[in-house]
Amino acid sequence: MHTEHIKYSLMDYITGHLNEYDLDQVRLHLRHCSECQNHYNELIAAYDALQHSQKVSPSSAYYSTILPRVQERLMGHRDSVWSDRKITSRLILPLAVSALLLILLIRIPSDSSYNNEQTDALFQAVKDYSADDVVQAVSNEYAGSSVLSNSEVFSEGVAENLQGDHFIREALLKQIESEEIVDMDIDGVLSGLNREQADQLLSKLSEREML
Amino acid sequence: MSVSSDLELVELFQKGNEDSFNELVRRYQEKVYWIAHRFVNDHDQADDIVQEVFLKVYGALNDFRGKSSVYTWLYRITVNVSLNTIRKQRIKDFLRIDEFFDYPSEESEQPDKQYERSEQKQLIEEAIERLPEKQKAVFILRYYEELPYEDISKILKTSVGGLKANYFHAVKKIGEFVNRAHRAH
Repeated sequence: MHTEHIKYSLMDYITGHLNEYDLDQVRLHLRHCSECQNHYNELIAAYDALQHSQKVSPSSAYYSTILPRVQERLMGHRDSVWSDRKITSRLILPLAVSALLLILLIRIPSDSSYNNEQTDALFQAVKDYSADDVVQAVSNEYAGSSVLSNSEVFSEGVAENLQGDHFIREALLKQIESEEIVDMDIDGVLSGLNREQADQLLSKLSEREML
Repeated sequence: MSVSSDLELVELFQKGNEDSFNELVRRYQEKVYWIAHRFVNDHDQADDIVQEVFLKVYGALNDFRGKSSVYTWLYRITVNVSLNTIRKQRIKDFLRIDEFFDYPSEESEQPDKQYERSEQKQLIEEAIERLPEKQKAVFILRYYEELPYEDISKILKTSVGGLKANYFHAVKKIGEFVNRAHRAH
C-alpha cells in the first residue's frame, strides 16, 4: 500500500476494521513514515475525544410508539385522498360549467408570452445554482432586517417588514414545507410567482452575480 | 414473519400483505432512529425523520425492484431525509423564523431524551455538525453504524476510495475542532 492508501486506512486501523494483511501493512508503514505517524497521532486524539459521544438511548417504550404513529398517518393520508376525491367529483361538473360560461362571456387577456419566454429563461439561468447559493443570497439580503416576533401577523408583517421582498421568503418557505428541498427544485420555487416577482428575483440573483 | 428476509417481506407487501411493512418498520426503526439522531442531534427531529422515512418507504415499496438490498435502500432514504431536515433547519435559521416553529430548547427536554450533555460531548456534536454534508454522512455511517465501505458506497453513490478520503478528512476535522476549542479555553 502506498502512503495515500495508508493515510486513508488509518482510522480503520485505529478502530480495528482492517484485515490481518492490511493491518501489518499499516503497522510496517508507520514505523518509517513520519507523515503518516503525524496523521495517526491526530486521528488517535480525535478518536479519544469521540469516546465521549457514546449514544444514550431513548426509553424502550419509545420504539413501540413508532409503528402505531406511522399507521395513523398512513390512515390519515388515505382518508384525505378519499375525501379529496369525493369533493372533487362533486364539484367537477359545476366547475366545468362555470368555466365554460366564463370563457363564453369574457375575453381573457393573454400574458402567456411573458410566462413562456421570460420564465423559461429564468428557469434556465438559475437552475444550475444550488439551494445554498439561493439561500445565501436571501440570507445576505435580510442580514440587517429585524425579526418579527408574532406569528399571527407573520404573512402581513413579513411583507411589510421586508418591503415587498417577501416573495423570496415565501418561495423558500414553500420549499421548506414541501418534500423536495434536496437539490432545490428551482422550478418549484419559481412556480406561483407573478411577473413582477419573477423580475425581482431575476434582478436580485443578477446583482449577486449568480446568473 | 420474523424469519423472512427483507426481500421476501417486500415481495409479500407487493402481493398485498400489509403486515410485512409493519415487520420492516419493527426491524429497522431503531437503526433509522439512530442514523437520524446522529445527523440532527435532537430527539424530536429524529422522531420526525423516522416517521417520514417509513411513510416514504410505504409509498415506494411497490416500486422496489431489488436492484439494491432493502437495507441500503432504506438507509439511503434515511440519509436523504436527514440531510433534508438539516437543510430545512439551515434555511429556517438563515431566515430567522425559529420563533414561529417553536422548537423546544434543551432546558425543556423530556424524559425520553435525557441526554447527559457533558461539555466534551457537546463539543463533539458541534464538530460533527460542522462537517460538510458528505463527510458527515460518511462519518456517521462508518464510525457509528460501522457499515462496510461497499454498502456506504451504494447508499451514498460514491466510490470506496472517495469514501475513505471523506472519512479521513472528517475525523481530522473533528480532531482539529476539538483541539482549537481546548486551546481557546
